Amino acid sequence: MLMTGEQYIESLRQLKTRVYMFGEKIDNWVDHPIIRPSINCVKVTYDLAQDPEYKDLMTVKSNLTGETINRFAHLHQSTEDLKNKVKMQRLCGQKTAGCFQRCVGMDAFNAMFSTTFEIDEKYGTNYHKNFVEFLKMVQEKDLVVDGAMTDPKGNRGKRPSQQVDPDLFVRIKERRDDGIVVRGAKVHQTGSINSHWHIVMPTQAMPEDDKDYAVAFACPSDVEGMFMVYGRQSCDTRKLEEGADIDLGNAQFGGQEALVVFDDVFIPNEYIFMAGEYDFAGMLVERFAGYHRQSYGGCKVGVGDVLIGAAALAAEYNGAQKASHIKDKLIEMTHLNETLYCCGIACSTEGYPTKAGNYQIDLLLANVCKQNVTRFPYEIVRLAEDIAGGLMVTMPSETDFKSDLKVGKNGETIGDFCQKFFVGNEDACDTEGRQRIMRLVENLCLGSAAVGYRTESMHGAGSPQAQRIMIQRQGNIEGKKALAKAIAGIK
Amino acid sequence: MKCGVKFCGGCNPRYDRGAAFRQIKDDLSDIDFVHAEEGNPVDNLLVIGGCTACCASYEQYDVKGNVYKMWDKDHIENIKTKLKVTMED
Repeated sequence: MLMTGEQYIESLRQLKTRVYMFGEKIDNWVDHPIIRPSINCVKVTYDLAQDPEYKDLMTVKSNLTGETINRFAHLHQSTEDLKNKVKMQRLCGQKTAGCFQRCVGMDAFNAMFSTTFEIDEKYGTNYHKNFVEFLKMVQEKDLVVDGAMTDPKGNRGKRPSQQVDPDLFVRIKERRDDGIVVRGAKVHQTGSINSHWHIVMPTQAMPEDDKDYAVAFACPSDVEGMFMVYGRQSCDTRKLEEGADIDLGNAQFGGQEALVVFDDVFIPNEYIFMAGEYDFAGMLVERFAGYHRQSYGGCKVGVGDVLIGAAALAAEYNGAQKASHIKDKLIEMTHLNETLYCCGIACSTEGYPTKAGNYQIDLLLANVCKQNVTRFPYEIVRLAEDIAGGLMVTMPSETDFKSDLKVGKNGETIGDFCQKFFVGNEDACDTEGRQRIMRLVENLCLGSAAVGYRTESMHGAGSPQAQRIMIQRQGNIEGKKALAKAIAGIK
Repeated sequence: MKCGVKFCGGCNPRYDRGAAFRQIKDDLSDIDFVHAEEGNPVDNLLVIGGCTACCASYEQYDVKGNVYKMWDKDHIENIKTKLKVTMED
């Protein structure tokens, strides 16, 4: 049963998720001004699923139940499904100009579905059935699930079992007849507080010595022993200013990351999807990362669409829209953005069925997609800042524009002076319109949304070097050498 | 005449699909436009795509007559003409 956006928000109020920020426990985190924009972002994934103009992408028939579900809870059944995923993510990026957080769960579902099938095939375990039952519940209740992969990792030169502190990777602390007790933490967790449940996965391939770290499971976000510490974002406390609106750039939507701590959490057997099968940790990571690298060819493109639009408006509001170099920069931004989309669509089109039956993306093309995402948004941002001009970082506050403090010799207020001196192309906008678009550019380039658009583009779904390793593995250099030999006439 | 309407998902539409539909609906007030749903048969179906791919799924619907597709705002007049002719037939 699909939830509405409002029902989603009400469902969060029923959770007892423990959240800490600025050293304090946040009891009403649903309405907290720093957190709420990120909840609004997830809400969009529910709202769009109810809208006839968007439901063709946002909803789909479940292969497990035959019911109509939100695509964010779907197992991809074809390359068409893989493409529709990317298109849906672009749409959600366009509507929020932020990170809508729900894709980590979708990518975890698909990676977990195929990996548990293959673990069971080798070891005769029951993980696949556990996972399918869990996913049916998620689909039926239309829940948000955080796919939690990244461990703190401590000393990067050491494996999990070699760390001085054994908790720097999530591990099985105790095995019981009815389940396991896990301990550790996951960092950079996108949307963790806004999720009803978590799926926890290992962060890297593991040798036998690390088998207690080869663990995957699901747990409710408010399970006993689990809590979150909210991640800071650039300019986040602007959201605490009274009546904050224009200075936020994007007052409605935002992203969310948190440290998620597992302080001896009990996981019943039915929610365990891997518990020591270390030889499958690499497969799970590779599949999840592959899907997630595909995702970036959709979501960041949608955000890029908004930034390109904002830059074009900034040029218009400055009265510079007819300059040939401005037009050329907008073309370049569009070219870069659509190149990312091409990669997302390409790796989907070349997808293939796994042994379990759901579809996996083409790994080489997905890694090329994400590698481009580590670069192009930075250039798009540079061009946006170039077009917008320095005002995006030097403009007085919204409060100054509204100030009635008399400071002029003829009784003019600070607000009067701000309105007078920050006027732009009066044929295209008023001063407030110019303020708003400059702040939106600021928000995306170096404000709170830069967490999602810039640095997340660099490190989310794996840092650039992780993709380069995969590109090297998948690149078939030997095949290319053979081609060159054939053309050159080398026997 | 009952005409089902199905939009594509709208990932990157090149025009305002909703506004295009409202224009068609306003100009053809004799036609009963409904959002297409499985199990709810319609006489004809209007598929409104946002770009040339026009990728909306519609095979699942029970359509007695024709399926009309558009993916550009320049198609509006042509679609209106076709629907009018169908209605008069």
